[in-house]
Amino acid sequence: MTPEELRETIARQFGRSLHIRTLDTGSCAVCEQEIRLLAAPHYDLHRLGFFFTPAPRHADLLLVTGPMIRAFEVAARKTYDAMPGPKIVVAVGACALGGVYPDDPFTYGTVDAVLPVDVWIPGCPPSPLALLHGLGVAVGRLTEKVRDLPFTAEDDDERIRGAR
Amino acid sequence: MTLWFVRGLRRGVVTTRYPARPEESARFLPGPPAFRPGALTRETAGRLAGACPSGALRLAESEGQADGGALLFDVGRCTACGRCAAEAPQAVTSSGAFELAATSRSVLIKEIPLRGRNDDTGRTA
Amino acid sequence: MRSDLVTTGASRAGAGAVTTFQVASPDLEAVVRDLSGLRLADMFASDGDAPTLRLVWANDAGGRQSGYVITETPIGGDQYPELSDIAPAAFVEECEIYEQFGIRPATGKPLNRIMLPPHADLPTLGRKPTREPDEVHAPHTVAGEAFEFPFGPVRQVGVESLYYGLVTSGEEVVDLYLFTWHKHRGLEWRLRGLTPPRALFFAERAEGLSAVALGWALAAAAEAATGIRPPVAAQRARAVALELERLYNHAAAMAALCQSTGLSVGQSAAEIALERLLRLNARAFGHRYLFGVIAVGGAGRAPDADAIRADLPGAYEEFKRAADALLDTNSFVDRLEATGVLTIDQARALGLVGPVARGSGLAADTRLVPGGPYNADIGTGIAVATASAGDVLARFNVMLAEAAESVRLIGQFLDAGTGAATTDLPRTSGTGLGWAESPRGEALAWVQLDDDGRISRARLRPASARNWRGFDDACRSQNVFTDIPIIEASFWLTAAGMAR
Repeated sequence: MTPEELRETIARQFGRSLHIRTLDTGSCAVCEQEIRLLAAPHYDLHRLGFFFTPAPRHADLLLVTGPMIRAFEVAARKTYDAMPGPKIVVAVGACALGGVYPDDPFTYGTVDAVLPVDVWIPGCPPSPLALLHGLGVAVGRLTEKVRDLPFTAEDDDERIRGAR
Repeated sequence: MTLWFVRGLRRGVVTTRYPARPEESARFLPGPPAFRPGALTRETAGRLAGACPSGALRLAESEGQADGGALLFDVGRCTACGRCAAEAPQAVTSSGAFELAATSRSVLIKEIPLRGRNDDTGRTA
Repeated sequence: MRSDLVTTGASRAGAGAVTTFQVASPDLEAVVRDLSGLRLADMFASDGDAPTLRLVWANDAGGRQSGYVITETPIGGDQYPELSDIAPAAFVEECEIYEQFGIRPATGKPLNRIMLPPHADLPTLGRKPTREPDEVHAPHTVAGEAFEFPFGPVRQVGVESLYYGLVTSGEEVVDLYLFTWHKHRGLEWRLRGLTPPRALFFAERAEGLSAVALGWALAAAAEAATGIRPPVAAQRARAVALELERLYNHAAAMAALCQSTGLSVGQSAAEIALERLLRLNARAFGHRYLFGVIAVGGAGRAPDADAIRADLPGAYEEFKRAADALLDTNSFVDRLEATGVLTIDQARALGLVGPVARGSGLAADTRLVPGGPYNADIGTGIAVATASAGDVLARFNVMLAEAAESVRLIGQFLDAGTGAATTDLPRTSGTGLGWAESPRGEALAWVQLDDDGRISRARLRPASARNWRGFDDACRSQNVFTDIPIIEASFWLTAAGMAR
């Protein structure tokens, strides 16, 4: 299945119901706090049809934080393998995207060194809003915006507005 | 327990309308920088790359030219720590972007053009 | 018999609160006995021709806090004297030192695997041990029967990876031990060769929920090593950030307590307060978790005082309303009372810190150490909250009292004037100790700088690295499985802070 076909299948089959399993591969604990806040009143992911589940068997999406510490690899693979397909992997935060720890004896440095990542969410930590956007992109309900942002500013602009 | 039910109702709704509506508090969130190409000499770009603790900034190989070329900015590695802005405030501002999710890793690597030798804007680095 | 102590001099950096003694190995046992009235805050080693063993003692008996004493002892060979007076407060550190430097107490008692994963050949800070550590846990049984099962490291949703070994006779927790080596990122190894500002990036991320405290401790250690003092306005900016960090962590702990007792509306109420505090952090300092506020030599950002004055009262009011309502809910309080009891003797023997220690009656608070912004510039002292019951309710009450005090202190620091400014660090060699009172207790850092001003040895000791050892004791005896999350919330520690 190509990524596009996968996304269409997921959007069709799962509609507005997505179950999320979280996985910590060695974070500093702050990404976890932002993820917990997704279920809090200010963000309430349930209104969007997203749910957390502690059981990998029920999960459709794996939300992964941390730089994939090598000692954790077995646990990470077991969690991923325990999820039935189709499944989506989302890498969360600068650690998971290679911005904090390098490829060295302790850490792989990125989640995609071990797991097949479908969506990457930058941030240190990504705020719950950024996470909601990322989850929406993962199920094809929200537009990916970063592709078209140049991250340049005219010399007299105070800031450019990200598409909102 | 009924008291908690009442308390909850009385507190009212604080839930954001995002993504249907913009979220006002988002403007206070830290985010990756945006760069001003007019102020990005090769020397400045080199200093920015040296200041970044995440390896998010890197000078691209220039094709034989002494000036011009690009600064490669890996948004995925950026932690919005602000060290690049502190190093060269005239060249760095805030992008204000927080919706950064990408479906391919390469989409997060941006080429920021450097100021060319013949680009005479009268600005100093 | 008192041995000869040779003073190498008080530390520089104007704190005047740290004294370092060189102690020869044969004298170490006697010196430790002399110092046993102090709290053993940390023990670590550093490499050299021979490994040097350092013990850091906090002089804070009876609630007065006058500073720290460090003893330094070169260890020839692979054993050091049995320091039985300091066990069990030093057991975790003895295990860690063995894994990293290959030296162990002379009694040859079994040492556990602590920081490094099994079957992995990771770089160490010194010579590797000749023998693998044992994995010994005190056998506990109930009427001769108990069964043991592993739980984790992948646990419930939205929490860190953490591995428990649970020993149970059914419902009751007979024993509980923890492993955090799957979160070991090798931070102390990674910091070698870095300049202090580069090291700060990692120190903030050792335990991100204590980014201000641990960053402050590392920055202060580098400042002590080079003999400089941050500008006063910057010190106050740091203190505002530290108190904001305390506030949001206590709100998060309150939410976790509600979640652990199944009180959903209470959890939501606490989470509303938590989110308001995090948004306040973003408005005040540009980051929800206050990363980037601490700079080596001062503060990288000044708080937006107007934003804090505008938003803090409402956010704290939200927090207090939730807390008062919870204390009024008998079914909630019943779950907390007499759960997870730690006696004052247990807390003292293990050298615990923070609300966990204060909830058991130990009145230590690092903010009272002379020389910092808390007493130097602020006229009134800090009200240190303590309780005596040592249960989850006592720790919760201590956190609530601390939150109220934090709001008061923030106002005072803002009134006295804050600013972003740094004093440049000279590139010079030296050693220094730094500290800060994180939301979960005393955070320590120690650095040794070479002639280039780069780190040759850095020690990071978040409060979690000290307090997890109390979790086993708190969970045993009369507690059942469903109490474990409640006790865990009342400790509010992180696996990241233990594992580093």
